[in-house]
Amino acid sequence: MKRKWKVSMVMILVLSMMMLSASATDAGASPQTMRIGVTVEVDSLSPFISYSQIGFEVFQLIYDSLVMLDENLETVPGLARDWEISDDELEWTFQLRDDVQWHDGVPFTSADVKFTYELLLENELGMYSGYLGGITEILAPDATTVVIRTEQPKANMLMNACPILPAHIWSEVTPDEYDTWPNSSPVGTGPFKFQEFRPGEYLKLVASDNTFHGRPGIDELIFVLYANTDTMAQSVVLGEIDAATNFSPSQLDTLDNNATIDAIAAVVMGFTQLSFNSWDDPSSTAHPLLQEFPVRHAIEYSIDKQRILDMVYSGQGSVGTTLVPPEGFYHYEPSESELRVYDVLRANQVLEEAGYMDLNGDGIREASDGTPLDFLLTLRADNADEVQAGQMIAGMVAEAGIKFNIETVDDGALIDKIYAGDFDMFIWGWGADLDPTTILNVMTTTQIGSMSDSNYSNKTYDRLFLEQQTIMDPDERREMVWEMQRILYEEAPYIILFYDNSLQAVNTSRWTGWTRIPEEGGYFFNLTNYNYLHVQPVAGVVDAAPDAGGGIGFAGMIIGGLIVAGVASFLMFRRRK
Amino acid sequence: MKRQYLAKKIIQSLVTIFFVLVFNYILFRVMPGNPLAMIMRNPRASQEAIERTRELFGLNQSWVVQFWIYLKHLFTGDLGISFLYRQPVTEIIVARIIPTVLMVGLAQILAIIVGVFLGVISAWKRGSRVDVAALGFSLVTYSMPTFWLGIILIFVFSVSLRWFPTSGMLTPGQSFSSTFAMVRDAARHLVLPVLTLSLVLIGEYTLTMRNTLLDVLTEDYMTTAKAKGFDDNYLIKKHALPNAMLPMITLIAINLGLVIGGTIQVETIFSWPGLGRLMFDALKARDYPLLQGIFLLITLSVIVANLIADVTYGYFDPRVRE
Repeated sequence: MKRKWKVSMVMILVLSMMMLSASATDAGASPQTMRIGVTVEVDSLSPFISYSQIGFEVFQLIYDSLVMLDENLETVPGLARDWEISDDELEWTFQLRDDVQWHDGVPFTSADVKFTYELLLENELGMYSGYLGGITEILAPDATTVVIRTEQPKANMLMNACPILPAHIWSEVTPDEYDTWPNSSPVGTGPFKFQEFRPGEYLKLVASDNTFHGRPGIDELIFVLYANTDTMAQSVVLGEIDAATNFSPSQLDTLDNNATIDAIAAVVMGFTQLSFNSWDDPSSTAHPLLQEFPVRHAIEYSIDKQRILDMVYSGQGSVGTTLVPPEGFYHYEPSESELRVYDVLRANQVLEEAGYMDLNGDGIREASDGTPLDFLLTLRADNADEVQAGQMIAGMVAEAGIKFNIETVDDGALIDKIYAGDFDMFIWGWGADLDPTTILNVMTTTQIGSMSDSNYSNKTYDRLFLEQQTIMDPDERREMVWEMQRILYEEAPYIILFYDNSLQAVNTSRWTGWTRIPEEGGYFFNLTNYNYLHVQPVAGVVDAAPDAGGGIGFAGMIIGGLIVAGVASFLMFRRRK
Repeated sequence: MKRQYLAKKIIQSLVTIFFVLVFNYILFRVMPGNPLAMIMRNPRASQEAIERTRELFGLNQSWVVQFWIYLKHLFTGDLGISFLYRQPVTEIIVARIIPTVLMVGLAQILAIIVGVFLGVISAWKRGSRVDVAALGFSLVTYSMPTFWLGIILIFVFSVSLRWFPTSGMLTPGQSFSSTFAMVRDAARHLVLPVLTLSLVLIGEYTLTMRNTLLDVLTEDYMTTAKAKGFDDNYLIKKHALPNAMLPMITLIAINLGLVIGGTIQVETIFSWPGLGRLMFDALKARDYPLLQGIFLLITLSVIVANLIADVTYGYFDPRVRE
């Protein structure tokens, strides 16, 4: 009896090894599969719930919007094939394509647009509702016409990335369910159809035959979730995946040394900032000395941003100045006289001129009433880079006689502190749109307690903000946006530390036609779905992933042999003597 | 006598479970941070939307009422809705249990077999070359950082030799022609994580086994038994091992109880869709319902494993029963 058990155990081992070593046989007409490694998975498949960048990326593949951006980030027709604006600039008429169908075969009509926009305007849910600000009325006079009315001219009407949802599906959802309904099998009009989402593993889309974009060169598109970037980098090299984003800088060189891989540091519309609490509300604990512009300026003068970039971010990114990142049309670059570049002498000089002296000789300057320049810097514990940057900054400002005490908290606790106005300063970052409205809005008074993270308030700024949204002439609007950034740079509620880079890699031996958007930008997460639509498989190259291990039979033999030998010797040991 | 012992152990376990429930519940609520901010994540949310969400997740009730509702739902298997995923907690957890148990369970079994085997050999042949080798191997693997070991194994077996895939549980998005093909794919993905984890665990088992067996081997009754002329194999099996196994039972039971919790490190290196990573994500997002669910599951399995260990102890060691 006992011996039988032993024999069967060895049998099982041998069988399992044979199984491992059998060669891959899943042949057939293999689809062209593109696998993209990502480090964050979609937080939800519902556009009302998701707030993530990857969510944005996936929605623009499954769904379409009225207009979209091409490879030059210019507005081109989406679901709307044409549009015009009334003479008073308050009424937009969109002519929709008449041959579009939802993935389930139901025809797309103007009623879907009306339904989606009204639902978002009413409920203000999710990351897309902000695009619709200023719209007062949506009409659908016939199946292919949508008329949108606004109170004021709406400058960013054609920057609207809001996905159009199928009314025939979402009208079944009751309003109470909007913020929980998972939309677990999204139906869109976009170039890719949803197929499968396995949380913690991957999200799979397949090309749609039935789309105005034309059939993509990618048959199957899979976003593979990686829990660590070292393994992800190896997977790209091995061909297990065809592309990946969000590497750490140290992996970039390794990847770039590979002839078949193009690894890039893409410039993205985002920055990392040091935020000061500017709130004068009595409940706020904002440090009074931090409200003084010379103190803020001295802090900026004493920070060697480039050195932090080099030491903490391996040089990835660029030194930051103003609120709107430089890639866009609306970025304001401070003039030479305005610009505050790293200069410790200058920092000390600014403080001395403003009357901050170190009277008691403890190395920290004091105001005339004896209050020391002693502040609390709050950092996010789970962002090691920010923590390291914060520590370097604390060391740098000490050179100017300013003391930063550091505390680290988790994200949730920091958000609480911001809402409560209970902080001096902290470090984190923002991502921006091509249109500056969203990022400019962060600094308006109405956003205090909401999107504002510095509790900044300036009446001139607020007025300009409302006005710039309504200026249809880009150059005239830019003048206004520049003025707003000039105000912010002078009053410095933020010190913009760096503009961020995103590290991406693509396999150029298996896929061709990759385009960086914009020129210095990324292959993915660049506000367009251009690459997903235009990349083509290289003829004759077979998908490497399913049988990445050519020598698997041999490997199986060895590992199997080792285990069998181990178990056998264990059994023999027991039988012997 | 025996029934009483069993009943006592079961009651103790139930009391522990209740305290764990209360403790879990309170623990997540005294942590700093407002869950609502994490749920909404919508700076533009209207007051009504906020109220709706508060109601949905029961956050408009007092702690006591929330706790009562929580207990009531618990008995119907309803662990609430995850803040993060907006799905029932039970569904999310169940989806992760199989990958976790598969990987960690296999690694534990492998580690126990090899560890006990090495421990017995090195105790029996104390001071010999075999002992030194086994001891050295155990100490080295035991003290090796999991993350580092995993990366090394990936480098050797995935990158250089190309034998096994680097990560995941199945080739992502692959449609399989048969169940056999799927099992084979999963098996290939299992090799490296299981190997990593069991290498790290072997040392603990080997060292414990060796030490306890050494203690037993120096007992007088072992000398007596030897003097009676029993052969070595019989001596170890019948006289030494039963006594030496007692601490091992505890160790094995506790470790098996922890199987369900997964291992964050190994899951992270190999991007394994297990409970350890889920717990980490839930913690970062302050997802109370999900955290509570996972903690409950882990504590339950540890308590049950301990109960089993106690009962087995009673079976192996008559002294415990009295």
